[in-house]
Amino acid sequence: MEHRRIRDLLGPYVLGALTPEEELEVGEHLEQCGQCRSEEVDIRQAHEYMSDLASVIEAPPPELKSRAVDRPRRSSRSLVPLAAAAVLLVLVGLAAAYSAGVFTPATATASLDPTQLAPGAGGELKLENSDPNARAVLKVWNLPRLKDGEYYELWCGKGGGRVSAGTFTVDKKGRGTLYMSVPAKAVGEYERVGITREKFPREPRLDSTRVVLSGELNET
Amino acid sequence: MNGVADEALMKRVAGSGDERAISELYDRYSGLVYGAGMRYLGDRTLAEDLTQDVFAAVWRSAGSFDPSRASFATWIFRITRNRATDLIRRRRSRVRTVGNDFVPEVGETDPSEELSRSFDVAAALALLSPAHREVLTLAYFQGLSQREISREISTPLGTVKSRTTSALRALRENMTNQEKRRSGDERA
Repeated sequence: MEHRRIRDLLGPYVLGALTPEEELEVGEHLEQCGQCRSEEVDIRQAHEYMSDLASVIEAPPPELKSRAVDRPRRSSRSLVPLAAAAVLLVLVGLAAAYSAGVFTPATATASLDPTQLAPGAGGELKLENSDPNARAVLKVWNLPRLKDGEYYELWCGKGGGRVSAGTFTVDKKGRGTLYMSVPAKAVGEYERVGITREKFPREPRLDSTRVVLSGELNET
Repeated sequence: MNGVADEALMKRVAGSGDERAISELYDRYSGLVYGAGMRYLGDRTLAEDLTQDVFAAVWRSAGSFDPSRASFATWIFRITRNRATDLIRRRRSRVRTVGNDFVPEVGETDPSEELSRSFDVAAALALLSPAHREVLTLAYFQGLSQREISREISTPLGTVKSRTTSALRALRENMTNQEKRRSGDERA
């Protein structure tokens, strides 16, 4: 009976959670009982597993869950060429502008207002310089839910032209956050930003009229 | 869905796009994926991106997941490690100096071995009964004493102590079973 009672205390014993009296009692029993010593080794191993796990785990921000478990709208097969095309567009545009020396380091923001295609929606884009790259954070809300094969695309524009700066989807409440890293010198280049609603597998149309949000990019 | 094996949840995700199943998998592994992201990348925003990417990959690749080849814990760990490696490479390419040396960064020491085992422990924990998982979660993740756990779950202190012992014993057994299965897979 005593053996069984001591055996039940091995968990809190390895946790250091017993009273001093209990701890002494368990320690004395372990000196005499090979079976409990063996059991204590196994339980201590489990305790170390749990301690290691606890040291790694960190709680992510609660709002991340809705974005992370939202089903992607497109398959990876279809996403790859599209993403590659979008990246290429950005790189070509940025490289051309860079070589022309038109970039100036700055921080810029844009408040995005809805068109009649997305009443009640809104968004904001913030570009922050952080050597050697600029960080772009786009937040949108209340955008219409997307149907299968649809996605949103962020565009940066100047004069009559524009380049894609990335694609994204939104959660059930029409919210989305997009993080990008771009060359710091890109910050001063563009005057306008806009978001269009696109549908795969059509290539993004550079003359798309399905703009859902748009705004002026202001240097701060 | 407590106590349902990860692999069974993945079957539901692959079969019917069960959002409750992926939500449960997120609850089980997001803290670990995010924590691994912090170990690898040392940046909260990148760790968030990593977590989002990993669960997008779970959705996309659910149909190709084969539990006879690797446990879900092993599978999601590999996705996490590979995606983190991509992010590290991308970041290094941006901070390459003139002399082609990399700027030392957080994550230079590869934590993969430790993290791999933590994913296995998370899988073993998920297989415990709810009562066992509860006492271990309260003790290790919330840092409650045995007496505080007793109050928290309205259970006599003596029962909490013996249940903690049983839970650790069951966890150890689950880990041993995983190791046996893995060594069997390697021999096959």
